[in-house]
Amino acid sequence: MNNYLSQVNAGSFYLIVALVLAFITIMCFVFLIKCYRAGVKIGMDKAVLRKTITSSATFTLLPSVSILLGVIALSGTLGVPLSWLRLSVIGALQYELNVAEIAAQSIGLSGLQLAELNIENFVTIALVMTVGILGGLFFTLFFLKRYLKKIRQNPKKEKSGKPGFGAHATTAMFVGLCGAYIGAYIGKAVPREGSDILPLLVAAVAALAMAGFEYLIQKKGKASLENFSLAASMLIAMAAAVGFGIIL
Amino acid sequence: MTEREKYLEQFNNGLHRLGRVTMLSTMIILTLVPFIFGAIYGVSPDGKGFLAGYIKVAMIYLPVSLVEFLVYAPMLGVGGSYLSFITGNVTNMKIPCAMNAQDIAGTEPGSAESEIISTISVATSAIVTTLVIVAGVILLVPLQPVLQNEMLLPAFNNVVPALFGALGLKYFAKAPKIAVIPLTLVSVLCILVPSMINQTSVLIIPSGALALLIGFILFKKDKL
Repeated sequence: MNNYLSQVNAGSFYLIVALVLAFITIMCFVFLIKCYRAGVKIGMDKAVLRKTITSSATFTLLPSVSILLGVIALSGTLGVPLSWLRLSVIGALQYELNVAEIAAQSIGLSGLQLAELNIENFVTIALVMTVGILGGLFFTLFFLKRYLKKIRQNPKKEKSGKPGFGAHATTAMFVGLCGAYIGAYIGKAVPREGSDILPLLVAAVAALAMAGFEYLIQKKGKASLENFSLAASMLIAMAAAVGFGIIL
Repeated sequence: MTEREKYLEQFNNGLHRLGRVTMLSTMIILTLVPFIFGAIYGVSPDGKGFLAGYIKVAMIYLPVSLVEFLVYAPMLGVGGSYLSFITGNVTNMKIPCAMNAQDIAGTEPGSAESEIISTISVATSAIVTTLVIVAGVILLVPLQPVLQNEMLLPAFNNVVPALFGALGLKYFAKAPKIAVIPLTLVSVLCILVPSMINQTSVLIIPSGALALLIGFILFKKDKL
């Protein structure tokens, strides 16, 4: 087994991640019990509260499997323990992978490439992934109480006309992000010394798979596929990469 | 103030206290993890590399985090917000799950009942996800030799192109008018200046800014 991979898949790493996740799970139970009791206290029907638990559990099952597929996708370069931790807390697959790539380039690697990674790179990448996503927690920690109070004091000012640009800003940001990566793959595919067409081919297969999912979701009403479309498209493209690897 | 209002205020204050303590603890614990991983092998994160990476990440994700916080916090309420931002997968899982639970319970948006339902829903969702992933990880461990087979190397080395191919289709289809110029410019730049190809972490900043600017202009002209 590759030495780097055996290091990042060490038993001690699994233990550390398990402890962190145990802490977060206990915290979830504390919130759940506190809110259940409060609901009973203010006169909510116990059956409604119980139904909330069962419906949320069933609602979550399928998307959780798709997160697990993300763990598999990430584990090939970052090992199972870190992938398990990162996809169980805070972020999501899109964030983790993009940030891991940015971090890898920032420490002088060409990207998240197994042959270039070592344990020192790994801990730096892990730290960028961790700290980079703390913004949401920071805002919640310092501003949630004041923000919610303000919202409650000024409930829903009905704005006239169209919604603001905020709704489109995140989409625009992600369009730019994807444009940068796809543009780089196009540049990399141009025949010359050091060129590599594989990333562009893999991206094209992922896009085709995603187009297929979007067709099924939007035209055929298979809304349940929404949860799987990203992870499944990635895995299909990764499988195609193995095939391309053999052919090329 | 009625008994109920008094109780709810106390309950909310307690939830904020608990949320802040657990959130701060989580932030500290998570930040320590890479250092502990490193300590096991006698290495530590590279400060310069970390800072260079963090600045780029923050430029993109701090504004996104702020928007998510402003939009989602009122939907999730006190407990739901603390838990969702800690356990992640907010847009793709916690929000739909909480909205679905509130729908089923038939609670009025913004009411104390709705906040309680949302917190119970988010907590349950986080617990179930953890259990599913734990089960999956246990199954993954014996598969390690297969997953680390040399033949699968191209698959894992191309996980990033796989992500951006799939995401690209989704976002380009959502906003094709925004996508054309940044995609064309970056492609031309990378064709003409090959050294930029491995600098995507730098390219994403002007590309993102340009997309935002185009989006804003189109929005102002009512063409989005």
